[in-house]
Amino acid sequence: MCNVRKQLMYQIPRKGLTVWRLYGLFNTALTAILMGAVIFVTYYFEWPSFIYYIAIAVVVVVALASIWLFPRIRWDHWRYEVREHEIEIQSGLFIVERTLIPMVRVQHVDTSQGPILKKYDLANISISTAATTHVIPMLITSDADSLRARISILARVAEDDV
Amino acid sequence: MMSDRYKLHLVSAVVDFVKGLRELILPFLIIFFANGFSVTFNPGDSNFWSTLIPLGIFLLIIVLRLINGFLKWWTYVYWFEEKELRVEYGLFVKKKRYIPFDRIQSFNYKEGIFHRLFGLVQVMVETAGSTNGKPEVILTAITKEAANQIELVTRKSKEQAELQADDLEVEELAEPTARVIHKMNTKSLLILATTSSSMGVVVAGVAAVLSQFAELIPFERIFEELSSFIKFGFIAISLAVFMTFLVTWLVAVIITFINYYNFTVVEEDDRLTITRGLLEKKKVTIPLNRIQAIKVVENPLRQIFGFAAVAVESASGGFGGEEKKITLFPLIKKKDLMNPMQELFPHFVWQQTLTKPPKKAKSFFYRLDFIWLLPVVALGSYFWFPYGLLSILVIIPVIALGLWQFKTAGFAINGNQLTFCYRIFSRVTFMVEKKRIQALEARQSYFQKRRELTTVEVTVMSGLTGAAAKVPNLENANAEEIMKWFEKSSS
Repeated sequence: MCNVRKQLMYQIPRKGLTVWRLYGLFNTALTAILMGAVIFVTYYFEWPSFIYYIAIAVVVVVALASIWLFPRIRWDHWRYEVREHEIEIQSGLFIVERTLIPMVRVQHVDTSQGPILKKYDLANISISTAATTHVIPMLITSDADSLRARISILARVAEDDV
Repeated sequence: MMSDRYKLHLVSAVVDFVKGLRELILPFLIIFFANGFSVTFNPGDSNFWSTLIPLGIFLLIIVLRLINGFLKWWTYVYWFEEKELRVEYGLFVKKKRYIPFDRIQSFNYKEGIFHRLFGLVQVMVETAGSTNGKPEVILTAITKEAANQIELVTRKSKEQAELQADDLEVEELAEPTARVIHKMNTKSLLILATTSSSMGVVVAGVAAVLSQFAELIPFERIFEELSSFIKFGFIAISLAVFMTFLVTWLVAVIITFINYYNFTVVEEDDRLTITRGLLEKKKVTIPLNRIQAIKVVENPLRQIFGFAAVAVESASGGFGGEEKKITLFPLIKKKDLMNPMQELFPHFVWQQTLTKPPKKAKSFFYRLDFIWLLPVVALGSYFWFPYGLLSILVIIPVIALGLWQFKTAGFAINGNQLTFCYRIFSRVTFMVEKKRIQALEARQSYFQKRRELTTVEVTVMSGLTGAAAKVPNLENANAEEIMKWFEKSSS
């Protein structure tokens, strides 16, 4: 038995990283609007000026984190593997999680696609057991579809005894 | 085929109505709080309309509820046909639900005060598919004979089906033997009340109530008069403290008696039947094969005296979502635990040696707490300067609890059984079989990675959301071992 678990085989496609960056951009825009409001209120009520700097710093930090840093880390951590008897997913930002789902436990598999994902021809796939739901995000649509089909076949083959 | 149609008892309309009222109490109170209790019926008063409008709305809702409850009773029918329990109700929107007998997992019963006045019972029909936490069918109030009849019809039909399935089986359907596993007497109920962790909550409640009365008591005058008799003042205070505890204890005892009076666990025909309750009697049946995991919980007080509570996570929840965890033994001496559990769950191993987190993990159990503790202490010290510094002392119990959690944590693998032992405040021993595990998760933060530690979490099915147990900060190799063990299940 080897001590170090071997790295999982598949990664999220590169396009996924782009989409995450895009989400980060939206986040930043939202924060910017909020902070804009704060700055306006500060100006209007003549609150102390350090609030300006804080507001601007917040926008910069959010932009750096949610556009540049976080998607990168998340993309690096995301790995998955669908084997005959189980699905293994690795995810996480600061805390890396590795989840093992036996094929027998899988109840159903869904793919979903919002407008942005559709534009990039990507889809999320979510795997539900009786108690939990696990998502593998940002797969190429055709891959996601074939993976969904594959999981549902494997899950059907696996004998159920709940 | 029997196709007599049965109706519910009229009381069910009342029960539904009262249940509806209970849901209304909270919004009612909120609105009156918001109004600052300025209730007035004087048309000239400025508060007149803000009283009348909500009151009117509430009255309207109450009347609607009453009509609704009555209509439901009026239209509700159930009958047996083609090996199915069939239920129909609704005036404008007719709802029909047909449940095949062999899909019925269990019947659960509940007798509220209204039920008991008329010798009625509420029946909840549980099926394997009702995973959304709700029973498939609820018959709000029927007579006990009718309830027995439903169970009888179902059982007969099931047995017939089984007989047809294997003709070889000779007719040896002897009456299933019922075996009392556990029964609580008054003494253990008292201990249960005294050691329950809800005592703390009750203390807070009593203190709050007493502090309300405190405004009525002219403390200042009393203290002035008594200040000369310091000794007497001391007695008065200790008497007050004592009284608080006495009242608290009494409340805890009363609550415990209402909930757990006559708590009995019976094993019969591979299913467990749990009966309990003083005013409201509840009877839950769980098929043994629906039990997903066993949880032995010892709160600190009970741990000292060698007591524990045992709960099971069941796939089909007892009374809807909130009671998915079913208590098997509310209180039992730990050394008396082994025998009945061994009998009930022969495939579980009860004595085992735990693998503990390594020494280097020790600090991980409390150091995260500093992150929220530091600002609290800093702010406390800053704003209440000299005395605020005392808040530093909070760190001591936090570290102590962390060390205690470290000492408790551990896991064991025995064949197909995984045991997790951990503590948040109470010590929990969580036992699960491989085939019941829905998902296994290993988690590692950046700092854990540097020290080669991993947190492992296991999830089983229980009610709607599932139940999870986790052991933090295990050695990497140990976490790996658990993952490997789980993977092997199929390969």
